[in-house]
Amino acid sequence: MQQLVLSVANYLNLVNDTLKTVPSKDLMIEGEVSDFRIAQQKWVSFDLKDEKEQAVLKCFMTTWQLKVQIENGMRVQVKGYPKIYERFGTFKMNVQEVMPVGEGALQRAYQLLKKKLEQEGLFDMSRKRALKRFPERIGLITSRDAAAFGDFVRILNNRWGGVSVDHAHVHVQGRMAVKEIVEAFEYFNSLNDNERPDVLVLTRGGGGLEDLHAFNDESVARAIYASQIPVVCAVGHERDESLGDFVADVRASTPSNAAELIVPSRTDVAYELETMSRHMEERLRESIDRRGHIVQRATNLVSFVLDRQKERFRFVYDKLTLTTSDWIPQIRIELEGLGRVLRQVDPQRVLARGYSIVSVDGTVVTDASTLEVGQDIAVQFGAGSLEAEVKRLNGKGQQQLV
Amino acid sequence: MTAKKKTPNFTEAFKELEQITEWFDSEENLDLDKGLKQFERGLELAGALKKKLSEVENKVEEIKKKFDA
Repeated sequence: MQQLVLSVANYLNLVNDTLKTVPSKDLMIEGEVSDFRIAQQKWVSFDLKDEKEQAVLKCFMTTWQLKVQIENGMRVQVKGYPKIYERFGTFKMNVQEVMPVGEGALQRAYQLLKKKLEQEGLFDMSRKRALKRFPERIGLITSRDAAAFGDFVRILNNRWGGVSVDHAHVHVQGRMAVKEIVEAFEYFNSLNDNERPDVLVLTRGGGGLEDLHAFNDESVARAIYASQIPVVCAVGHERDESLGDFVADVRASTPSNAAELIVPSRTDVAYELETMSRHMEERLRESIDRRGHIVQRATNLVSFVLDRQKERFRFVYDKLTLTTSDWIPQIRIELEGLGRVLRQVDPQRVLARGYSIVSVDGTVVTDASTLEVGQDIAVQFGAGSLEAEVKRLNGKGQQQLV
Repeated sequence: MTAKKKTPNFTEAFKELEQITEWFDSEENLDLDKGLKQFERGLELAGALKKKLSEVENKVEEIKKKFDA
């Protein structure tokens, strides 16, 4: 039987062709990184080792294929194609993809996805929607076995009543979780208006990054982003965060907190109703009082005017009585004085003392020279009168016969 | 569906009550006649809402659809 003879190069080609039958696409090789180095800022090489079995796989890739930060001692899974390099005769893994494993490595991957979604605008505050104050229907997406379910419903019942909760039972971890959660979002959003919840709640208890993987999954984040119904996301304890939290319209710290954010408390609303009723009553009473006040003021004003008038009248009256009482006696005195004077000049009284009045045709004669001899005169006495004839005037006229 | 029939909507009733309360504040000089009417309506709403507050039960139903399909 003829032996086939090959050149080294051809042989290595044959081996490399054979290596291509390894189902590389479906394999991840996990090990620990050592001797990690980058040459000329372009070529990445490291050894992938099993700690126990002392097996080494030499790995080679370019810097642009390396999308995550790796370092010596980190556990990673690699995917790639094995190859023998003819020039050096060395067997190497041509690495296409490196995936960190374990908590620290997941953290790293989480940060990268977060950055990507953030840059895309999935976390924008401007697109956050406000929740209805009094929701009537709530879509609850969580596992019926989770403590989160019980917590949420308990706090909901404590605070508020009369709400319909449509519960979509999904796994919140494990390999089915992502698919189920995404489908639940699609289901609720496909409902017509009168069956559609006012708000959706995606919740679960706290946990490590591995437990929360579904809440950090890109497709879940996008399902929340796409939901036409506002979404509240609540994961575990206060400090836990998930990408779902960032995309959701409202982030609650715990399942109980989600219930608190979604429904108001009876006490608060009762107080508010009380306050509003009281306020209305007060305003109404104020208004009535103000009208009463106006009437009161008008009454006051009228009585004030009346008082003023009364006062004025009294003042005038007082002044009047004061002056009259003042001048009446005065007048009396004056009158008495005048009376006395008048009485003193009364001609009757003068005549009574022996004087007589001579008059001619009713005119009193005060100068004898106005008379003529022979003229008739009248003489009036205190008692009685006579008529006479002038016989002699100022020594002239008929001599008196002696 | 009974969704429509299901008592006056809490949100709407509450909003109307808030509007009435605001009306009382917005009027400098209340029209007493209207004020009384509004007050009456407000009390009616507050009473109905308070009654709703006493509803204790929430109805939790699991959706029959399976999400693991």
